[in-house]
Parts: sequence; structure tokens; C-alpha cells
Amino acid sequence: MAAIRISKRRFGIAHFIGLLLILFFCIFPFYWMVSSSLKDPQLILSQKPTLTFQPTLENYQDAFQRNVGGSLGISLFVALTTTALSLLLGTPAAYALARFDFRGKRDIWFWFITNRMVSPIVLALPFFLLASNFHLIGNPIVLVFIYLTFNVPIVVWICSDQFRGIPKELDEAATLEGYNSFSIFWRVALPLGAPGIAVSAIFCFIFSWNELLYALILMRRETQTAPVVATSFMSGYQVPWGQIMATGTLVALPVIIFSLIVSRQMVRGLTMGAIK
Amino acid sequence: MIEQRPPANTSTDPVKPSRKGKLMPIRAVPRKTYSSGVIFFLAPAVIVLLAVGIFPLLFAVWNSMHEFILSRARIYAAHGQPFLWFQNYLGLVNDAGFRESLFRTFVFLLINLPIQLVLGLLIALLLHKVGHEWLKNICRVSLVIPLATTLAVVGLMGRLMFNSSFGVVNYAVATVISLFHSIGPLLQGHFQVLHGFWRHVVPSNMIDWLGNPNLAFATVSIMDCWQWTPFCALVLLSSLTLVPPEIEEAAKLETDRWWQVLWRVQLPFMLPGITAILILRTADILKMFDVVYTMTQGGPGNATDLISVYVQRVGFRQVDQGVASAQAIVLLIITIILSRIYIRYFYREI
Amino acid sequence: MRRFFCNFIFLLLSASTQFAGAWSLEEAAKPYSGTEVSMIFLDRPGYNAIIKLLPDFEKRTGIKIKYQIVPYENTREKEELDFSSNGELTVALVDLVWIGEFAEAGWIVPFEEIKKKYPDIIDPNFDINDFIPLILNAFGTWQGKVYGPPFDNYSGLLYYNKDMLKEAGFDKPPETWDELINTYAPKLTKNSKYAFALQSRRGETQSCDSFMRFLWPWGGSLLDAKFHSNLGNPKSQEGLNFRQSLEKYMPPGIVDYDHSDAVNALAQGNVAMITEWSAFYSTLVDPKNSKIVDKLGVAPEPKGPDGRKPALGGFSLAVASQANDKQKAAAWLFIQWATGKEIGKQYVEAGGISGRQSTYKDPALLAKYPFIQPMLDSWQQGVPEYRPRFSEWSKLTDIIAEWGTKMMLNQVSVKQGSDEIGTRTEAVLKDAGYYDGKKPLAQ
Repeated sequence: MAAIRISKRRFGIAHFIGLLLILFFCIFPFYWMVSSSLKDPQLILSQKPTLTFQPTLENYQDAFQRNVGGSLGISLFVALTTTALSLLLGTPAAYALARFDFRGKRDIWFWFITNRMVSPIVLALPFFLLASNFHLIGNPIVLVFIYLTFNVPIVVWICSDQFRGIPKELDEAATLEGYNSFSIFWRVALPLGAPGIAVSAIFCFIFSWNELLYALILMRRETQTAPVVATSFMSGYQVPWGQIMATGTLVALPVIIFSLIVSRQMVRGLTMGAIK
Repeated sequence: MIEQRPPANTSTDPVKPSRKGKLMPIRAVPRKTYSSGVIFFLAPAVIVLLAVGIFPLLFAVWNSMHEFILSRARIYAAHGQPFLWFQNYLGLVNDAGFRESLFRTFVFLLINLPIQLVLGLLIALLLHKVGHEWLKNICRVSLVIPLATTLAVVGLMGRLMFNSSFGVVNYAVATVISLFHSIGPLLQGHFQVLHGFWRHVVPSNMIDWLGNPNLAFATVSIMDCWQWTPFCALVLLSSLTLVPPEIEEAAKLETDRWWQVLWRVQLPFMLPGITAILILRTADILKMFDVVYTMTQGGPGNATDLISVYVQRVGFRQVDQGVASAQAIVLLIITIILSRIYIRYFYREI
Repeated sequence: MRRFFCNFIFLLLSASTQFAGAWSLEEAAKPYSGTEVSMIFLDRPGYNAIIKLLPDFEKRTGIKIKYQIVPYENTREKEELDFSSNGELTVALVDLVWIGEFAEAGWIVPFEEIKKKYPDIIDPNFDINDFIPLILNAFGTWQGKVYGPPFDNYSGLLYYNKDMLKEAGFDKPPETWDELINTYAPKLTKNSKYAFALQSRRGETQSCDSFMRFLWPWGGSLLDAKFHSNLGNPKSQEGLNFRQSLEKYMPPGIVDYDHSDAVNALAQGNVAMITEWSAFYSTLVDPKNSKIVDKLGVAPEPKGPDGRKPALGGFSLAVASQANDKQKAAAWLFIQWATGKEIGKQYVEAGGISGRQSTYKDPALLAKYPFIQPMLDSWQQGVPEYRPRFSEWSKLTDIIAEWGTKMMLNQVSVKQGSDEIGTRTEAVLKDAGYYDGKKPLAQ
């Protein structure tokens, strides 16, 4: 007994250290970006990286002067809308692929993911032509739809596995009580599939938020998304490090906040036992 | 009667993926749920994706079979675009740059994908294990941070951190070395040997991360791993939540060794997630552009010239959209082939 | 009778001169008030300067200017996509090396056509000959036709750290490259400080700043008169070998240095001299970015055996063919105003670079900005074909960038690298039809 307890405690410490390492690994470059954004531009490029310094907000002031605030709003609109739409479209499709059996199921399932495989470099021109035919250049709605092509596949793939993991007995129990498939989907699958849905929501948000090429080509100045503004500083001759780091930080913050809100769902469903 | 799902993994045999490698439905589903639900569940997604995605794809295929150099747009408007059959594709065979770039990208894939997968797995396990709840929550959220950073900014961060004169990485290396020097006397003889070995590998404290071709490749790899390991970790984490808790508990009581629990109980549930990661990361690395572009532009020399950097150069700098489309279609085919292979060997429906 | 007749003639004459002298921006712009003109700007001082002056233009003419700020790397693709699919840009921002392509593709309208079609909007004071001849020729002209005036132009200059030079015993910068490498460099390279930094990152930086810079001053060039590769010529080889031998006086990892890295190396006091674009002057004298504000010296680039052939870079503004009639006129009014004599001085004060000789006749201006004189000197002696401006340049620049960096990394010898570049270049040019007369030999 004592041996198990000791080894468990040692494991506990290893666990703790492991988690700390993960934290460090994820955060350190980000910390570097944030601290650079607060440094005097001169200091960023000095010989010895300094860990202590006088923080200054001038990089952020410069960034806001360039309409970073507005672009954050546009990005938020696009990312939230496309995430919501992707979940709306993707979760039923994932459920169908997980639960039902029909001809061509495997191919449809594979077809979803191939939508994500073509390089945007060669799709940029076609999308540009399409959008300009519909006079949608500069309208963020066009981005919402284009992003669906790579967000819906993610939702479908992650959620279909999640739904498959829900024991069928729950389905049967619900059917016996007289619920139709949609209600089962709504009441049983969605709550229990929460971890997967949460993860795919986070990914949708992130990928839409960070997408650069289409946003660059299809948007106009008034409707630029945040990453476009963040990179517009690259004039080809100058790299204003301080401002770029400041914009990078501002651009990353909403994503982190969104994930904070959504990640509560990622804890494994204790609800599973409850429903049983 | 509804068949019971065969209970998973109560046997002690190691789990193998299904021999046939095909997706086999675990069991028959009552016909009742087939007819009514499917169309309504699937249709919206399929229709939207078709509507938005099919035209650009067909257009790209059409481009790949014609000559399409943007600066000749007016000529095309007047005389039409020359139809080239598969000339663009055949041209790729002779294109040494394309072949080399593709090879380089596969090397990149072979090095980085396993690293990201394994590290992601370890992280997922650590986050799944019970204990230290508050720290785990913080970690889970912090995993998002690397993903949240705009790709172009990641590249620039890499330039800043790995800069040989004022980058923080070299500073850290120098600090470690000076620490080493200070404990040197304690090691005496061993120190000389180790020091000599170290100096042989790293001639000076100013490691030239971005100017040395091999190190540049490594640096781009490091930034890619930094950004995407959390992705793997999060996908695997949500897969881990699928393992029925009773089975996990039972297995943990049976053996103290975590790797056996992993191999026999948890991994089979994670296979779909692993397959998804393999396919997505392969597709992404073949499309990878922003980070490389802002960090090294494909240089020094050819060291970090990954395939999408090459395609972008053709498509937007030489503005030959015809050849670039052919290249992208070839990449699409390669990705599809690789994906089928992954599915065959790794996928197993739970 | 006679008197009446004389008076009548006099009245007629004065009336006509009144007409001629009555051109004003407001008058000319009246029919186009409310038209939108759209263009791309870069995040560089020259553009920020014009943006500052825009409200005045918009007030006087009622023409709305819509601009987008796009990274330089994406500018060409955005413009090309727009022009090839009937987009919305009405003014084209034309980099020196894109003019051949844009002109051949028919995307920009020659000045003569504008003059013919809209005689009323041409400012008689515009005086196209006031532009520095080299600048107008190199930036705005293709195959003898002027497409648009130069805008945002640079010359390569030698920036140096006066203190570092003084410490090593020099009170003036090197006059020639030979001097630089034989006399100056050895004394300036010690204690982790280096004599020189050459921006050489793969890309346009390598082909223009690094590679070309070491061809022309030695009498070499990329192409000979018949457009065959001239890299095998001993003069070209001499220049390229010179660059190799300069490497030992440059910081390690120089092959990865881009503009900002080279400028920063000088600004932080790690390197004694750089040859960079004139536009960087403002960075180097900004105490926020530079530690050598009061130690900065500016001079024209060193001479090679064949004289002083500094690097040439910059843009011009042209009217886009895809614009409708009203937009074309409004676009030209904007371009004319932005590069006009009227705002020349204001523009420079706001941070821009004017291409007009008249702007620089003011000695106070020259005294305030020490980089202007060396820049003007350089513009007297530059080579318009510093980089060939034909549409094939986009392919050639990638070939040169790749093999130029390989040469510097010693992955291939100078001879091998030059041969490779030569063979590939000739293949590209052959495909394009330069060798069998299908295309005129214009660069």
C-alpha cells in the first residue's frame, strides 16, 4: 500500500512539472511578443534582451491610429458568424455520419475533408472573380461563406467522432420514449458531444480569425480584418517591430478570450453518468 | 433485438486496426432512422459547401489546362485562352525546382508530424490525468495561445527570437553555457571533454539560426511545432474524453504502468483523432506559406523553400496561374492519396 | 481705323493669354466632382506624406480618393488580380520593374493619350521636363512612351557611422569600392564589429541590392546588347568575386539580412557602413530607432572601376486602363497634383521624395536634409536598366535570388552560379521571343 502511495505522489510531482512545462512552452513566445510590444522600439533591437524595462504604451497608440480597433470588430463579426454557421451546418451532418448508415457515407465523409486540401493560392482568383461578379468585394459576408469551406469539414470530422462515442443505449432509450431523431440529436447528442463541439468551435474561430490571403484580396480598407492590418505594416523596407508586436497581441487577445469562455465545455461530461 | 456493441478492450490482446482497413459499420442500425433523418441532417452542409466551393475548384482545374498568365488578360479577352491539354502538368515533371521543393516539404513533414503528434499526445495525457485541476485549466486555455497568433506574426516572432545578435534564444543559450562554465570545476576532467564536444558542435555563442541553411530549416520547424502541437493536443484531448470512464478505471487498477493503459485502452479511441490530425497536418504543411514567407522567404539559398512558397511564387510573382493551378491540383491529389493511406492503416471506427 | 485694328488684335491676344493662364485645379476638376479614384499605397514615408496632404486636394476638387495600404509583397498580386479581372483600381502604382509588364499588358494609359483625350485637365504648369531625366526615363517611361510621372523614388546611398570611421583613422567615407575593401574594411572589422553589411536575403533584396550592386560599377551587367547573359564577362565576374571577398568583413548570417536588418545593424552601432535606400534616412535619424543619430554620415555609393552606378528603385503613378472616362480624368488630376510643382516642397517636408528639379533648387531644403544632395548626385549617374524592367523580370529575379544566395553561401562557386543564372535566364528570354525578333529588345 505504502509503495503505491509513494509512487502516486512522485507521479503527482511529475504531473505538476509536466503541466508547468506545457505552460512555459505555450506562453513564452507569446510573452515575448507582449513584452516587445510594451518596449521602446530601440530596446527591442538591443544586443541583450532585457527582461525588465520601462513599459510604454506608444506602440499600442500607434496601432490604434491605424484603425486596428475597427478591424478587430470586423474580424469578430466574421469569425463569430462563420463559427456559428459552421456549427449549425456541421453538427447535424456529423451526427448523420456518426449514426446513420447509407450508401456513399464513406465518400461523403471523405469529401468533407477534401474541401480543406486545396491551396488558397489558386482559389484566390476564382473567389475574386465570383465575388466581384456579385459585387461583394469589400463585404465581410463573402468571407463568412468562403471560410465555411474549411470550417465545416473540421466541425464534421471532430464532432462525428465525438458523437460516435456516445453509447447507443442512450439513443435507444430515447427512441423508446418516443423522441424522433432530431430530438435525440438535440437533447442527447449535443450535450454529450460538448467537448468535441467546443474544440471544433475554438478551431473554427481561430482559423477564421487568422486567415490572411482571402481577407487581403477581397476586402477594402474600411472592412479589413485584423490580421490584414497587422501585416500591412510590412512595407517591404521597414519592419516596425513594436507596432507589429502590439497589433499581434491585440489580434490574439479575442481568440484567447473566446477560448476561455468555450473551454469550460471541454471537461469530460460528468453529465454522461447523470443521464444514465 | 438490438445487438449489444461488443464491449471494447476487455481482452488483453493488443488492439489492431481492422485488417481490411475499410470503414466497417459496427452494427446494423434499425431502418427506421435511415430514411427520415439523413437528408435533412446532411443536406444543408453539403449544399452550402457545394455552392461555395465547387466553382473555384472547377475554375482552378480549368485554369490548369489552359494558359493563364495574368498579364496577358487582354489578349485572352480578344483571342481566348489557349487550351493546353495536360502540358502544364507534364511541365512539372521537368521542373527540378518543383521536385526539389516537394521533396523538401516531405522531409519537413516526416520530421515534424511525428514530433507534433507525440508531444501532442503527451500533453493530452497530462491534461486528461486527474489532479491539479486549476493548473490544468490554465494549461488548457494557454494551449490556444500558439494557435491564436496570426501566422505572419509567428514568422516575425521567429525572426525576433532567433536573431543571432539580439535574439532571446541565443541569449538563453549563452546563459546556459555560462552556467555550465561556472559548475565546470566540479566536473573537472569530464568538463573538458564535454566542453570540447560542445564547442565542436556550436563554434560560437551567436548561433546563426536564420543564416545557416540547416538551422533555418530547424527554426521554421520549431515555430511550426510551437504553433501546431497544441492543435494535436486539443484534438487528442477531446478524443480521450470518449474513453468510457469505467473501462479506464478498470485498466488503471489492473496495471500501474501508464503506457500499457495508453496502448490498450486509450489509443484505440484516439485513432480517429490521430487520423484526422495526420490528414489535416499533411494538407496544411503542403499549403504552408505565411510563416515561411515572413521568416525566411524560402532562403537562405533553398533551405526553407517549401512547396507552397514555390507555388505562390509561380502563381503570383510569375503570375502564371495556369501552371500554379496544375501544381495545386497535383498537391491535392497527393494529399488525397496520403489521406487514403492514413485511413487504411490508422482509422478504426469506435 | 488702324488704331482700332491694333487695339482689337491686342484685345484678342490678351484674351487668349487670359484663357491660357486661367487653368486652375478647381476649374478643371469641376466636371469630375464626386468621382471616386481608388489606388494602393504602401506603408512608407512617401505615401504617408501624400495622405497628409490629401484633404486639401479633396476639398479643392470634390474628387474622393480611396486608398488601401497593402504590404509591398502583396501589392503586385493585388494589382494584377484587379487589373486582369476588371476590378476597381483607377490609379496604378507601378514599381520600376513592373512597368514593362503593365505597359505590355495594356493595363496603364500613356500620357499622350490622356493629353489627347482630356486636354482641359492638363495643367500647363505640369512641365514634364522638370522631372530629373533619369527618374522620368527609368520610372515612368517604357519603350519611349511616358506612362506616368515618378512617385516615391529612391537611390542607393552610403550610410556610415562617423565615429567608427574616425576611431579607425578615417575622416571621410570611401570613394571607391577598392578603397572600402582594402583600406577601410580591415581596420573596421574587430571586436565583434564589422565594416559593412549588405542586405542579401533571398528575394528582390538579393537580386537588386546584393547582386546587381556588384555588377554595374565594374562594367558588368546581366545582359549584353543582344540580351544574352553577360555574367561570364570578366568584368561581371570581377564584381561578383569582389562581393564574395567582402563577406569576411560582414556579420555572420549576412545572407539572411533584409533591409531592416542592415539598417538596424548600422543604427545599433554594430556595423560601420551600409549601402541602402535613401528612404531609410528618416529611420536612421529617429532617436526612437537609432543610436547613431548624431554620428550619421551620408554619401553617394562608392565608385567601381567603371564609375558610380548606384542602385535605383522606386515607383510611378499611372492611370489604369480599366477605369471609365470620368475616373480616368479624375485619376490624372490626382496624379498631376501629387507630383506637381505646387506641392513639391510641402511634400518633401511631410516626408516624401519629389522627383522634380525645381523642388530641389531651394538651398534651405538641401541643408535640412543631408541625404538629398548625395541622392541627386546619384540620380545624375544612375543606369535606368539597373534591373531590366521587362515583364520577364519576375522570373529572372527569382533565378538570381536563388543562385545569388547560393553563391554567397559558397554552395556553388561564382563561376558555376553565374553559368546557372546565365543558362536559365537565356531559356526564359528565348521562350519569351527575344532572340528571334518576336519581341523588341527593350529593358
